[in-house]
Amino acid sequence: MRFDDRPSATLRVAVIGGLLFLHLPILLIFLYAFTTEDKSYEFPPPGLTLRWFAVTWNRPDVWEALELSLKVAAVSSLIALVLGTLCAAAVSRSRFFGRESISLLVILPIALPGIITGISLRSAFNLFDIPFSTLTIILGHATFCVVVVYNNAIARFRRLSGSIIEASMDLGADGFQTFRYVIVPNIATALLAGGMLAFALSFDEVIVTTFTAGQQQTLPIWMLEELVRPRQRPVTNVVAMVVVAVTFMPILGAYYLTAEKVARR
Amino acid sequence: MPFLPCWGLPGSGKTTCLRLISGFERPTSGEIRIFDKVFNEVPPNRRPVNTVFQDYALFPHLDVRDNVAYGPMVRGIGRQQRHAEADRMLELVKLGGLGRRSPAQLSGGQRQRVALARALINKPRVLLLDEPLGALDLKLREQMQEELKSLQETVGITFVFVTHDQGEALSMSDYIAVINNGRVVQYGSPQQVYDLPRTRFVAGFVGSSNLVPPELSEQVGAASRWHSLRPETISLVAAERAQISGRLHSVRYLGSMQRVQVRVGVHSIDAVLPASIQLPEHGSRIHLGWPGNALNPLEDDA
Repeated sequence: MRFDDRPSATLRVAVIGGLLFLHLPILLIFLYAFTTEDKSYEFPPPGLTLRWFAVTWNRPDVWEALELSLKVAAVSSLIALVLGTLCAAAVSRSRFFGRESISLLVILPIALPGIITGISLRSAFNLFDIPFSTLTIILGHATFCVVVVYNNAIARFRRLSGSIIEASMDLGADGFQTFRYVIVPNIATALLAGGMLAFALSFDEVIVTTFTAGQQQTLPIWMLEELVRPRQRPVTNVVAMVVVAVTFMPILGAYYLTAEKVARR
Repeated sequence: MPFLPCWGLPGSGKTTCLRLISGFERPTSGEIRIFDKVFNEVPPNRRPVNTVFQDYALFPHLDVRDNVAYGPMVRGIGRQQRHAEADRMLELVKLGGLGRRSPAQLSGGQRQRVALARALINKPRVLLLDEPLGALDLKLREQMQEELKSLQETVGITFVFVTHDQGEALSMSDYIAVINNGRVVQYGSPQQVYDLPRTRFVAGFVGSSNLVPPELSEQVGAASRWHSLRPETISLVAAERAQISGRLHSVRYLGSMQRVQVRVGVHSIDAVLPASIQLPEHGSRIHLGWPGNALNPLEDDA
């Protein structure tokens, strides 16, 4: 006798309902990017138009915000890649006093509510008289980007057999050669995945940015401001589509990079 | 060109000994000399020594040929030349044509030979092998023992071979170092170690020697201390020429030989006799003799 492993009709309806509930609002956002009504969100839209794309294209404030967001995401992911990898290497490859605590402290920022990270960073910057600028936003984002890279890297380091590093030294490679020819190829996909996730996290971050930014606006912050005033609202929706695209691609990429590794095993 | 097995129980310090030679451990005192040159301060990558690791430690991201060519690569030898060299080494270990495979696609024995080729391509003066046959099944292990031995004769370099298998150590070596608790207890040719074990530990470890306790030694007219006595030196003799007499306890048939256990009071002595000898009934009294030098005095274990 076999169990019937096909889902029941009720389960199917529930699953479809759940997925619709999660994703329909996003589709609505996309829909409003094409509406002809620019003061309020009317459903159904009175008419459809592509003109908001042109309007968005010609708005310098959108470009500024996009440029800042890309810059912040790129730099903070880069910082995270360097620090996260080094930290993961130290924690996984050597034994030292306070190793477990360091591991915990590194992971902490992602567990802390963003508002707490934001407030504490803001007061710290104030305390040290550091003016709020692009730099402070980057520092704020780096705190949680490091965690993502660290977690990815440490998982890979743990799977890496310690003896292949010794084998490399034994065969005549110095520390730098071992790093380049043995360690990097073995952790590269994990780093790429970590870096992409970090980039995506930084790109749509709002809370920490609110506290660490000065006058400048990242794209999500710009959207938040834009929603308040009832003029050219669909521009926000067009930008939202861009944000979804920019954050979704790296996450998808990271997913495939790590999934491919599993399949090969 | 010697083949030197270091041989001891698990945890006795064999691997540490290899790591001292390869440079992954630093001696707290004393000197590491390789062909009369002191190497204490030299890092592993600049020693004329290569290792075949216990788990082989092949690079998973490189194919077999690039694994073997790794040493030449880090020395800056061009791709074409190092690949040609690697292919030659793979021929030597009988893996020609498998260069494009990934290590994951090889069997245990093949991986071991890749590890061997990867070490030998650097022409080390000393090759360290850390229980390299431990992970193989018996048949493959015997085959690899022979191959290693003949390879060692072909390439003519010193092999330092760590094992806890006494048969492997005796059959493969020119010299043996027996290690216990981090100390070399005895060093010599397999025959010396087998025939004249220096301590009770060595005697007990080198196969099936009789350990004769002091009180029994006195009975046979020797000094009151521990002795070792090889079972195959013992023969059946007439009562008046017996060095010792006891009751026949058990007989185990070994093909051309038979292994006989004789009880002498509370002690027992094993003798290996030709199978052709007719033995009396179990429990009957038999008389044993051996040549004068067969009883080998042992030092106390440190």
